[in-house]
Amino acid sequence: MKIVVCIKQVPATTAEKRYTDDLRLDRASAEAIINPLDEYAIEQALRLLDAGTVDEVGYLSMGPEQAGEALRRALAMGGESATLVTDPALAGADEWATAAVLAAALDKLAPDVALMGMASDDARGSLVPGAVAARRNLPLLSYGAELALADGQARIRRLSPTGFDWIAAPLPVVASVTDQVGEPRYASLKGIMAAKRKPLDTWSLADVGLSAEDLRSGALTRVTDARPPEAKPPTERIENVSADEAAAKIADWLAARKLV
Amino acid sequence: MSNDIFFLAEFADGAPQRSALELAAGATELAAASGGNVVALAYGPGAGDGAAGLGAHGVARAIVLRDDAAPAITAGPAAVEAVRAASPLAVLAPATPNGRDLAAALVGLADLPAFGPVRAVRVVDGIVETEQATLQGSVVTTSRPVDGAPQPSVVLVLANTFTPTEAGSGTAEVSRAEASDHPFTLATIVESHPADAAVVNLEEATVIVAGGRGIGSAEGFGQLDELAAALGGAVGASRAAADAGWVPYQLQIGQTGKVVKPALYIGLGISGAIQHRVGMQTAEHVIAVNKDPDAPIGEFADLFVVGDLFQIVPKLTAEIRRRKG
Ligand SMILES: Cc1cc2nc3c(=O)[nH]c(=O)nc-3n(C[C@H](O)[C@H](O)[C@H](O)COP(=O)(O)OP(=O)(O)OC[C@H]3O[C@@H](n4cnc5c(N)ncnc54)[C@H](O)[C@@H]3O)c2cc1C
Repeated sequence: MKIVVCIKQVPATTAEKRYTDDLRLDRASAEAIINPLDEYAIEQALRLLDAGTVDEVGYLSMGPEQAGEALRRALAMGGESATLVTDPALAGADEWATAAVLAAALDKLAPDVALMGMASDDARGSLVPGAVAARRNLPLLSYGAELALADGQARIRRLSPTGFDWIAAPLPVVASVTDQVGEPRYASLKGIMAAKRKPLDTWSLADVGLSAEDLRSGALTRVTDARPPEAKPPTERIENVSADEAAAKIADWLAARKLV
Repeated sequence: MSNDIFFLAEFADGAPQRSALELAAGATELAAASGGNVVALAYGPGAGDGAAGLGAHGVARAIVLRDDAAPAITAGPAAVEAVRAASPLAVLAPATPNGRDLAAALVGLADLPAFGPVRAVRVVDGIVETEQATLQGSVVTTSRPVDGAPQPSVVLVLANTFTPTEAGSGTAEVSRAEASDHPFTLATIVESHPADAAVVNLEEATVIVAGGRGIGSAEGFGQLDELAAALGGAVGASRAAADAGWVPYQLQIGQTGKVVKPALYIGLGISGAIQHRVGMQTAEHVIAVNKDPDAPIGEFADLFVVGDLFQIVPKLTAEIRRRKG
């Protein structure tokens, strides 16, 4: 049984972000990390590997050449091998194009479970897992707080409006998990050393059987304007007063805005 | 191709969810600009019985995708058939897990442009235009489909972007979608564990009193319940409070919890980490009480109160009760 975890390299959560003149994110300007939510997917896969439920964990990323660093970092946490799909035609790929490329690469890698984080830090549409499943003609199990595999089935525990459900589908599947699967492990020094020797393949668009035309220059959407958010009025502060006074002042503030 | 505006309408127990009514209002606005009709794609338990009632919210036609308790994604293939047949200008989807799953099915199966989650969407000269806060809210972008992109645009819409209209008297014409069998339909709920007590849907609350690690215990949330009750609001939480087991995860606000947009958010014992902030930063009014004068939430709250929440909250609750009489 094999899991391939799809990971994305993103600008560090707290890094300052800039846009290039053609309104694309300037990825070179910010420190790059593994998308934090993808680390939870890695952790889930490695837990299943530790438990002997799966016997192979691999990684797949689509991105610029530097995204190979993210794959090395993932390999340092565990797993066997990694594949990077990189191609000049992919600059500015949107969710639709990303899903098309990942789906084509996953068709070649043919895992029992293609596993992803529930969202990426820098886009947050959360559409890629479902769009990949759609293209690969496979079931989707999304937003799992836990992933279990048994008897030719994958199951996820997913929040319901008041509690939770277990949702199942026959393997192979595309699945996504949340940050409830457990805190991601740190790479050990030994892991970091071992990762340097693990195989990391680089594929072009042609290697996954797609052409630039198939991807309509990488996007069906375009950004027509990027600007800083509207400035908020400055924060009013209440400090160095008694609790009684603070409570009265908050109530006044609410009343002045007709909130009580 | 048509100028119609479709939207995903989730049902539970035969009633449209708040997201469905918000999107009905949004679709009505867009359709007025595009010159098309408003069409609902209804799914969820009881959607078949309840769909006609959407007419009271400006919906001309409702297509029932599925109306059983199966996972929402199982309605995906039917949604694709309905959208392919009509080729509307846009499909609005709620930016919830279920809404995103169905939107993803549309994008992946029908090769459609995707937007969002957006905080505004409009039709300008027949073109769909969206507004989105990205990169942890550090940038606001306006987007459109590329020239010649296939129709419809699939737009994920944040809760409270549109306000439901008062119910009128119309009835929507109801039809059933053709079933189609993509493996999406193979997902089944094999176990269901609802909670004993009701859990509020935070996205519907207009006032939210949220507690974090500073609350210290499940019992500590009792005083938040009281403040929320005095204000007619609901209780929310940070991930730290949910992880600690003090409140159910359904109450978590943030990147991996709910994205809320209430008129008033009060954060108590919450530091204001970026992952929490992205879930509440569009609240109209933000008050924070924190004993740390340098807590990050103090940088973006409208009113920042430095002090001990255990001293201030009971007094605030009493004061509000007193003023309300
Ligand atoms: C991938 C990822 C996703 C995440 N998603 C989310 C998410 O969706 N939602 C979310 O909330 N977090 C999320 N987090 C976690 C987030 O980074 C923070 O760790 C979390 O929000 C902190 O919660 P907190 O503010 O309650 O706790 P803390 O940061 O510990 O803050 C507690 C605050 O309480 C104050 N305090 C303590 N006692 C008192 C008192 N008596 N009176 C007044 N103030 C007091 C302290 O001064 C402090 O500021 C995510 C993290 C990651 C990595």
